Amino acid sequence: METHGLAGEGLGKHVARRTLKRILLVEDDPDIQTVTSMALGSFGGYTVHVCGSAEEAIESAAEFLPDLILLDVMMPGMDGMDTLRVLREIPETASTPVIFLTARVQPADVAKYKELDSLAVIRKPFEPTALVETIQDIWIRYHDSAH
Amino acid sequence: MNPALEELSNQYPSALREYCNGGGEAALLRAYQLGRGAVAAGVSALEVGTVHQEALVSALVETLALAESAPIARRATEFFAECLAPFELTRRGFQEAHAALRDLNQGLERRLSAALQDFESAQDELLEQKRMETLKNDFISVISHEVRTPLTSIHGALNLLKSGLGGELNPQGQRLLDAAYRNSQRLVRLVNDLLDLQRIESGTMTFNLRPVDLRSLLEQAIEASQAHAGPLGIKLVLQGAPTGARVRVDSDRMMQVMTNLLSNAAKFSPRGETVVVEASRHNSGLRVGVTDRGPGVPEEFHERIFQKFAQAASSDRGGSGLGLSITKAIVEHMSGRVGFQSEPGRTTFYFDLPEWRRTVSRGKASENTWPAGR
Repeated sequence: METHGLAGEGLGKHVARRTLKRILLVEDDPDIQTVTSMALGSFGGYTVHVCGSAEEAIESAAEFLPDLILLDVMMPGMDGMDTLRVLREIPETASTPVIFLTARVQPADVAKYKELDSLAVIRKPFEPTALVETIQDIWIRYHDSAH
Repeated sequence: MNPALEELSNQYPSALREYCNGGGEAALLRAYQLGRGAVAAGVSALEVGTVHQEALVSALVETLALAESAPIARRATEFFAECLAPFELTRRGFQEAHAALRDLNQGLERRLSAALQDFESAQDELLEQKRMETLKNDFISVISHEVRTPLTSIHGALNLLKSGLGGELNPQGQRLLDAAYRNSQRLVRLVNDLLDLQRIESGTMTFNLRPVDLRSLLEQAIEASQAHAGPLGIKLVLQGAPTGARVRVDSDRMMQVMTNLLSNAAKFSPRGETVVVEASRHNSGLRVGVTDRGPGVPEEFHERIFQKFAQAASSDRGGSGLGLSITKAIVEHMSGRVGFQSEPGRTTFYFDLPEWRRTVSRGKASENTWPAGR
């Protein structure tokens, strides 16, 4: 599993109120949706809500109230980075932790993710069986630095 | 006829005639100025002289008795010669200088145009190189995204099937699944290696250099590679390392180098063999060697073993063909060098690094390593 840990920056801004139960997965590729949500549901026992587009995610985020958002970067229409900016404007998701899931991991891209208020970047392709553990690690790190 | 000469021929005789008729020095000066103007306009002194002589003769014939005319004629000619001679010299000087300048210019122009041609072809070459570089980066970018996306589903699905999520498979099904998964892993490695190489070559790979203890670094690397070597029936051992020796490296990159060398060594070793890692002081630095008991590197392959995609066709064992060139680039980036010695039954790949001898490294204990790379 490959991740980019975002040490320090921005972590203090979030206050983790709950344990990780509800995950909003924003991903336009239906096959990746299947694989990812299956892994999260089967191995992590999380409640996963899948959105196929930024618009859908923005619409349902305030209602689903996720503990964590897994956000694809390259999507038709609004991309993941703009989606994050919009989610930050919505009171319900203003401080919801976000992890980017992306196939675009060129240095220039990574520099852009870094500027945004995200916990980490998980690089595609990833091992779904290890995804839960990775997310838990990030979640615990996030908790530790938030308190 | 030269228009300046024609004009001189028309005007000069009357001016000279005026002098001969008692016009005084002012008339002579006017004649001289006409002559000088003609020279300046490109008429030669000889041509002006001829006009003068003819005008003088005709003026004298017209106006005076021969006996009286002699001193006047002499005076007019002397004055003319005195006035005109330096000017003619100057003109010649100019002509010579002009000729010399022209030659010089032509030489310069030739050299300049040659230089310009060189410059243009160098520029074309550079543009072509840039174009190829852009093409390569675009290509890698496409690989990076367009291949990763379908690979995420394929690899993810195989990974979940292997975890038993789809239920138990019969032995044949399991073998097929294993083959598919193994090769999907290989493809993932290739895509990652390509990106790494592109990052190294474009200078965008970050190196977080810090002094680290060499022995513990090697122990960690061996530990991390056990999982890979175990199933191949290969033992990995650290035979020796100088106590307290430190190197200034990026630990993650160093792990990448060691993982690569260890996985190669395990891959090419016969089952049941041991791969030996050994560190020692060598010359003024430290040498780390990884020795396997494999068949050795074929002779014809020695020259290009560290080149991209240089994997010996006969010994295709599932690598990306980029591992050793990435290893070389990383080690060199950390001021080291790589090499190997090979004979059948004993091959050592090694790298040399300068020893870090400073006692206390103060300050930043936890540098922000984002992005942490792989």
